[in-house]
Amino acid sequence: MIELAIERWRAWAPGIEEPAAWAAWSAAPRPLVDSGEQPSCDFVPPMQRRRLSRLARIVMHTAWPMCSDDEQLPFVYASRHGETTRTFAMLDDIGREAPLSPTQFGLSVHNAIAGQWSILREQRGESVAIAGEADTFEHAIVEAAALLGEGAAAVIVVLAEERPAVAYDGWIDDVPFSYAVALRVSRADGTAAGPRWRLSLRGNTEAAPSAPGPHALQFVRALHDGAILDHPWKTRRWTWQPVP
Amino acid sequence: MNDLERNIAGLIIETLALEHLKVDDIAVDQPLFGQGLGLDSVDALELALALQNRYGLKIASDSRDARRHFETVRSLAHYVEANGAPCAN
Repeated sequence: MIELAIERWRAWAPGIEEPAAWAAWSAAPRPLVDSGEQPSCDFVPPMQRRRLSRLARIVMHTAWPMCSDDEQLPFVYASRHGETTRTFAMLDDIGREAPLSPTQFGLSVHNAIAGQWSILREQRGESVAIAGEADTFEHAIVEAAALLGEGAAAVIVVLAEERPAVAYDGWIDDVPFSYAVALRVSRADGTAAGPRWRLSLRGNTEAAPSAPGPHALQFVRALHDGAILDHPWKTRRWTWQPVP
Repeated sequence: MNDLERNIAGLIIETLALEHLKVDDIAVDQPLFGQGLGLDSVDALELALALQNRYGLKIASDSRDARRHFETVRSLAHYVEANGAPCAN
């Protein structure tokens, strides 16, 4: 069992960025149309910004305000599918027997975005890049709890997914639209402000169907309505509940 | 800037995603790397690949001369004129 304080959060999805828009979406969730929109990330100088993929921009946009300029915090980057756009472009090159782009190759690895975060935000501490199944979000929280247990004052967690190329239809069915959720979490027994949540795990023996929609966005909903969340996935059953 | 130089400047902008620049923003004798335009070693690899694709250049990665050829748009144009395959696309 894990207890955390959610000190700050920020989320992004096509057309839904500001807190008021997330409150409205949380009250009446609906599928969003992904037309390739991306955050401008004007706070990154152009020479660095040019190397940011759409997924990287979404991550930078949501994570940037989670720490201040003079703070060093561990970073947990979590994505089930990662840089599918870059990977698909490289597969296309290979299919045409064309040489691979060094930039695409270098930035397609799963921890590339965590590395870009470290460089751009001048963060020299730990960073972790993880990929799990549909409960990647919960695994990222477990990772953050471990870092807090090691003594970190707070941890930044970002769960991000980009809508993959059409060729992946039928293979990847859990990214209806691109989105990211960034959280700044700290120990629940500390002095930090923000709602406290408990995450617990038990075996999923009841053959409960998997929750509809991305877990991380359901958690954004829960942050608004304070309702208990049940996230069954295969043999695991995660429960989120607010701590009074 | 002659046509080839404009072409190369355009290729640099397009290949290296320098969306904040236009062809006229790059002077023919401006250093491309380091303190000049600010390109780095990954850009050098990417640019070598693009030059190979467009002009049929073969650039050996261990060539001592490569650094000199890659100094400016003008030096790249000279290099393409001397070594490029005329009909390469």
